[in-house]
Amino acid sequence: MGKENSAEKALNLIRGRLCDPTSVFRPLSGSSDSNFSKLKFIVSTSITEGCNNSILLLGPRGSGKAAVLDLVVGDLMEEYPDSVTLIRLNGLLHSEDNCAFKEIARQLCMEHHLLFSKMASFDENSQFIIAMLRECGLAHKTIIFVLDEFDMFAQASDLLLYSLLDAMQSVTSQAVVVGISSRLDADQLLEKRVRSRFSHRKILFLPPSREEIDSLLEHLLSLPADSSFPSGYVSQFNEKIKNITSDTRFKDMLKTFLNANSTVNSLLKFIFRAVSSMNLESGLLSLENFKTALSSMQRQPKLEAVRDCSILELYVLVCMRRLEVKEQSSYNFISVMKEYKTIHDSFQTSDYYAQNVCLRAFEHLREREVICYAENRGQSQAVEYRPMKLLISASELHQGMRSHACCPAILLKLLDH
Amino acid sequence: MTREESSKVTRRSTRFSSSVTSDNPEPNPSHPPTVADLTFGEESITLDSLLSSFPGRRSQILDLIRLIGPLDSPALPVILYGDASTGKTSVVLQVFTHLNRPFVYSSCRTCCTPRLLFESILNQLLLHSKCSSNGYASAKRCDKPSDFVNLLKEALSSVVETLNSTKLERKLMGKMVYLIVDHVDLIKEWDKGEMILQFLFSLSSVLKMPQLGIILISGLPPDVYYSNMGYTDPLPVYFPEYSEEELRQIFLKNQVNKKLYSAFLDVALRPFCRVTRRVEELSTSLSSLFRQYCEPLDDLSISPNEDLKRRLYSNLRPHITSCLNEVFRVSGRPHDGDTRGERRQKASYSSEKGDELEILDFHMSTSAKYLLIAAFLASRNPATLDASMFDSTGGMDNRKRKRKASEKSMEKKEMAEQEAVMKGPGSFPLERLLAIFQCIASVGDSSLGEEEDEEGEEEATGYDKESNNMMSDILLQVSSLCDANFMIKSGSCPLEGSIRYRSMVSEDLSLKVARSLSFPLSKYLYRR
Repeated sequence: MGKENSAEKALNLIRGRLCDPTSVFRPLSGSSDSNFSKLKFIVSTSITEGCNNSILLLGPRGSGKAAVLDLVVGDLMEEYPDSVTLIRLNGLLHSEDNCAFKEIARQLCMEHHLLFSKMASFDENSQFIIAMLRECGLAHKTIIFVLDEFDMFAQASDLLLYSLLDAMQSVTSQAVVVGISSRLDADQLLEKRVRSRFSHRKILFLPPSREEIDSLLEHLLSLPADSSFPSGYVSQFNEKIKNITSDTRFKDMLKTFLNANSTVNSLLKFIFRAVSSMNLESGLLSLENFKTALSSMQRQPKLEAVRDCSILELYVLVCMRRLEVKEQSSYNFISVMKEYKTIHDSFQTSDYYAQNVCLRAFEHLREREVICYAENRGQSQAVEYRPMKLLISASELHQGMRSHACCPAILLKLLDH
Repeated sequence: MTREESSKVTRRSTRFSSSVTSDNPEPNPSHPPTVADLTFGEESITLDSLLSSFPGRRSQILDLIRLIGPLDSPALPVILYGDASTGKTSVVLQVFTHLNRPFVYSSCRTCCTPRLLFESILNQLLLHSKCSSNGYASAKRCDKPSDFVNLLKEALSSVVETLNSTKLERKLMGKMVYLIVDHVDLIKEWDKGEMILQFLFSLSSVLKMPQLGIILISGLPPDVYYSNMGYTDPLPVYFPEYSEEELRQIFLKNQVNKKLYSAFLDVALRPFCRVTRRVEELSTSLSSLFRQYCEPLDDLSISPNEDLKRRLYSNLRPHITSCLNEVFRVSGRPHDGDTRGERRQKASYSSEKGDELEILDFHMSTSAKYLLIAAFLASRNPATLDASMFDSTGGMDNRKRKRKASEKSMEKKEMAEQEAVMKGPGSFPLERLLAIFQCIASVGDSSLGEEEDEEGEEEATGYDKESNNMMSDILLQVSSLCDANFMIKSGSCPLEGSIRYRSMVSEDLSLKVARSLSFPLSKYLYRR
């Protein structure tokens, strides 16, 4: 019971670490030339010297841009407790100007303990924001604007960006605008007048190197040697982790995984899955956990869809494939039924069903998005007459049928000829 | 169990067959809802009973439980995907009964706009229920994702506070709340659905609250959600279709006489599995077939021996093929206690397959039937042949001179056939429909007149009365045929200005209708 309790606690601890991005990125940000220190330098100089600044953080999704920014902001809040205000906006939510200004005004009010009225109009909000910028500038307080999904702000409309950047230049303000985007060309999306006011500082977030990953793994998976865990258990656990990470099979697994997706976030998901399947009785991780996690992360949805088909649905797919091979550029349900009939006549299969049954099988395939309508505009036609197309390739169909539980041999033969 | 809790439970438990007896829709105002109502609150079930009630889902259930994790353990978002009726929603709800954690369930099928979805989630978190006292209004009005995020943060923090401070002497509920969103694939059809999907998938990183666990249920695999905005994928759990063995276990679960049913499944399950493996479709066809299987037996509780099994099978065999072709059709005739209906059914099943075509199982007026046939003919025949098909006496004349078919013309014929198949039924203006209708209705009159002389049954006198009123309300009939989807309005030609129609009935249905009127349809149909 005690063993299970400590295993559960260990599991909770590791899962907590994996779900919290800041704790993941802190060890990665230790060195002096990392993105963390660069960003911190830029923002802290603009706080101490009282100047305006703008910067873009770019990198693929899940490479830790927002996490590093959170770390920087957290540190700065500690160092300069009263002179930093943080405003967060997200492109998914606030890409409309009304929403964005309302949200900025709301957050400013919350920070400075003012009453926020939901009925304030757009003009009132924008005047309020500019006034606040001026006041904070005069009082030597810096406002940090964090714009997540920056490319959505750039594409939607430039009013927000323009007014922010313009205010920063004209009014005596101290503001830093940090844009975060997963599109590497986010600054090319800006309009000319906004781009001219934007300083083209960019920090790229690249995938971590092998050494960084190894140190990250060790940091994430080792249990701390404090009093909440029985000491023997901690050393046993950490020993097991060392064994696993130095195993060549594990290294190969990691390499294949990172070849497909090299961001830190996907690595975290992989480890999360492996850790969740930890055997709670023994309380130790094993290589099997990582193997099952890898196989469940590498899914092939179209193959699974074909494997899930019933035999009649496989017949429909094979008929469609044969029509494609015969270079019929477009076909619909009626032509597929004709092909089905010719197959039945020439091979005397036992699976010949009525048209309404086949139509229903057709609908099932369409719901599963294995086939779809070839064009969207033919709404005025009956379902049987609309042209269709296959959404899976021939090799996927082959593979799926071969791994199908009870595919009749005649179908495989028909597919090849 | 408070009444408020039970009304919440009935709302959520429509998916599984637990016997919640209370059916009181109005919450009693003297029992205010508490946070404990976010859990199921009933007797929690053990893991073994959970696993045994879902045959074939053992690995998925264990996977899900492991991903949700022990009590108070932070979790990454999870997506369960699989085909319809593979048990995703019921498994999730039963897992939460077993784990007894507070959760909020919302389905995108019932909440078909973003506003409904957001407000439903907020209502459940704020423990607000719509009743007549507050005018069936939600607690807060919310239709934009930005408002939703703010309100959700407030609601969650208040719920978590209550969870932290309550000293529960009964079962531990933990400090996390789980959000379950069902039928996520339907969001794709919504207005601005892509944005909402992207928002939902990145909800956990936007909110930054580790006390919320997110579980999404989708009918489509995660690869359909890839968009060019990048994609933060939740952890996938796959629910495959059931194999034959698992289907057998599922169907045997609630049967009274397991031996008899398993003997039935031995012969019936395999052919049906070749057509479809979905549980809901199989259960309707298998239940009707089982009734037929048990017909010769007087005592339904015996367990059959080999001899009996063989006899029952030979009795059933001719019905299996006909039933296979009716797999997706739900019979319109009532089954329980109507012996007359059963006898008619027996007669129809034992007769030839061709006879079945004659039975038109819905009623239409005579003029509507003629209109249907006229629309069918107008769609299938090219307009230029109308004059020769329907000459002034109402007779037909489509003898074509036989010419020796050369190879080129055969090829051309094949291409033309293919094109015709691809194009489908043609469209026709209203005037042409009415012209053909008048022609064939007069044919019908004359032929029916002969019938009346010969037979003089009650049906003929009924027709006689109707034939005088057939020409009225034709336009009304046309519009009701359009509503019933037998005809649709296709695009109108901008030069002509009249609306064109297109017939949507299949040849089988029009043959049935023609046969019920004794109309020689095949003589009027143009065959290339």
